[in-house]
Amino acid sequence: MILEIKDLYVSIEDNLILKGLNLKVNGGETHAIMGPNGTGKSTLAQICMGHPSYKIESGDILLDGESIIDKTVDERSRLGLFLAMQNPIEVPGVTNFDFVKAAVQTRMSKDEHLRIGKFILKFEKASQDLKMGQGLAHRFLNQGFSGGEKKRNEILQMKMLNPRFAFLDEIDSGLDVDALKLVGQNVTELKSNDLGLILITHYQRLLDYITPDFVHIMINGRIVKTGKDELIKRIDQEGYDWVKKELGIEDEDIKPYSLGVCPSKH
Amino acid sequence: MNILKFLKEKKTLIAFDNVHVINKAKISKTKNHLHFEKENDYFVFIDNYNLTEKLIFEVNKGLNLRIYLITYQSKNIEIEYEFNIKDNASLELYTNFNTRRNNNLDLKLEFNLNENSNLKLMNALLYNGNLNLSTSINLLGRKSSAEVEVLNIGHGENKFNIDQFIRHLNKATVSNINNSLIASDKSKLKYSVSGFIAKGNEFSKAHQSNKGIMLSDSCEIEVEPKLFIDEYNVEASHGAAIGQMDEMQLYYLLSRGLTEQQARSLIIFGYTNPFISMIEDKDIKRLLTSQITRVMKGKADNE
Repeated sequence: MILEIKDLYVSIEDNLILKGLNLKVNGGETHAIMGPNGTGKSTLAQICMGHPSYKIESGDILLDGESIIDKTVDERSRLGLFLAMQNPIEVPGVTNFDFVKAAVQTRMSKDEHLRIGKFILKFEKASQDLKMGQGLAHRFLNQGFSGGEKKRNEILQMKMLNPRFAFLDEIDSGLDVDALKLVGQNVTELKSNDLGLILITHYQRLLDYITPDFVHIMINGRIVKTGKDELIKRIDQEGYDWVKKELGIEDEDIKPYSLGVCPSKH
Repeated sequence: MNILKFLKEKKTLIAFDNVHVINKAKISKTKNHLHFEKENDYFVFIDNYNLTEKLIFEVNKGLNLRIYLITYQSKNIEIEYEFNIKDNASLELYTNFNTRRNNNLDLKLEFNLNENSNLKLMNALLYNGNLNLSTSINLLGRKSSAEVEVLNIGHGENKFNIDQFIRHLNKATVSNINNSLIASDKSKLKYSVSGFIAKGNEFSKAHQSNKGIMLSDSCEIEVEPKLFIDEYNVEASHGAAIGQMDEMQLYYLLSRGLTEQQARSLIIFGYTNPFISMIEDKDIKRLLTSQITRVMKGKADNE
């Protein structure tokens, strides 16, 4: 089980964001990708998922040796990719339960039938594990959720869908200390040889709860340094300037690209 | 009279056309007056009713009623209904107007609410023809309130012209309008939504929310939300969010493995589901669900 990103160049509206990115993630491994704002970390997650706003200029994304860049978003999901989004989208009128049930059913073969009782028990267990509170099943998808609830709901979906490779894009933002610990515990429990994890974060605090096997520093659209725990500690203490100095990287004037904003509450 | 099968089983049915009346509910009925005196859930079925006088529903003081009003027409007509809700009474009215031959229907609904009375109006508008509907709600009594929920699905070449007026004519009156609009094919949905708060009617609240989704390039949704307020000490808001299917919502659902067709269906379901889930009677709920399924067939496919 392997996800491989090869010399990937990606643009959005003629702005080149990823510039020759390489990454290899095996099943069972946890990779942390850290880096300053606007360096392309979220772009990496979105392009792997197939976001239509991004364009691959060159390079490839391989899942178990097969290119997936011509696959649609839903096909990639059914192949086992998952993205816990930085800004989970609200879908009014669609209950969490109906949504997750539909997502689980899309992964079943034509001969299989969803055992609804078993599904409900699993949903309730996941909901309890993430302290989502009663009534989650009947709440509309992410509508009226607090920032922390939205992030925990992403992890709930991950637990229900059993992905093979999961990108967690700034799952720590919007979470208080207790919620972060809870998310960390839940993600750690999911770790197995059947799951490759890619954690995108700015801060050490998430990595206190989910221990990565590899830490990558991403600057100006590519991974410039790879290491282990020692990198996290140094970034936490000194930021990223030392990496730039060490590698002779000059700042580029690229601002984070917004794909839109969450609908406001009415 | 061609009564829907499940309605025949209802013990509180009153069904009539211009000639016949089936009054299992034992409602006091004169020529054009229906008088509700007992608390209950009523099923009113009207088939090709065409009187020149308006049909008047009277809800007695202090009663809590639920009425399911289902009508069928086979020719172009104009018809007017009036609902008088007395002091401390509460009416939940579900309406579903249908046609058998793509007829035009000009319809007026007028509601007069007295002191401390409540109205919850649920209009399921899937009319298969052209519908002109004027809904006029007069909040006459102090602390009277009205909630209006509309689910309007336009399909084919249907045209809907809907005028909604709510007049706050006493103090501490409350209104809330939620319009959920879906347009497909070459349908046209035109809404004029007006709230009036007259001078002196302080502590009143008037809110309007309009959301619409257009599923084809040839359909139209036009909404004019309006508030006319002549009093300072009130609360009011209005808004309209009309557009095509939200690309980010679609992406989010696709990213969980739903196919595009499934994702689009689920987003559309998100417009219809809150309305359907408000309906208490299972048979009425099933009827509406089957009507929606029929008119929406194939509409979730990307054009």
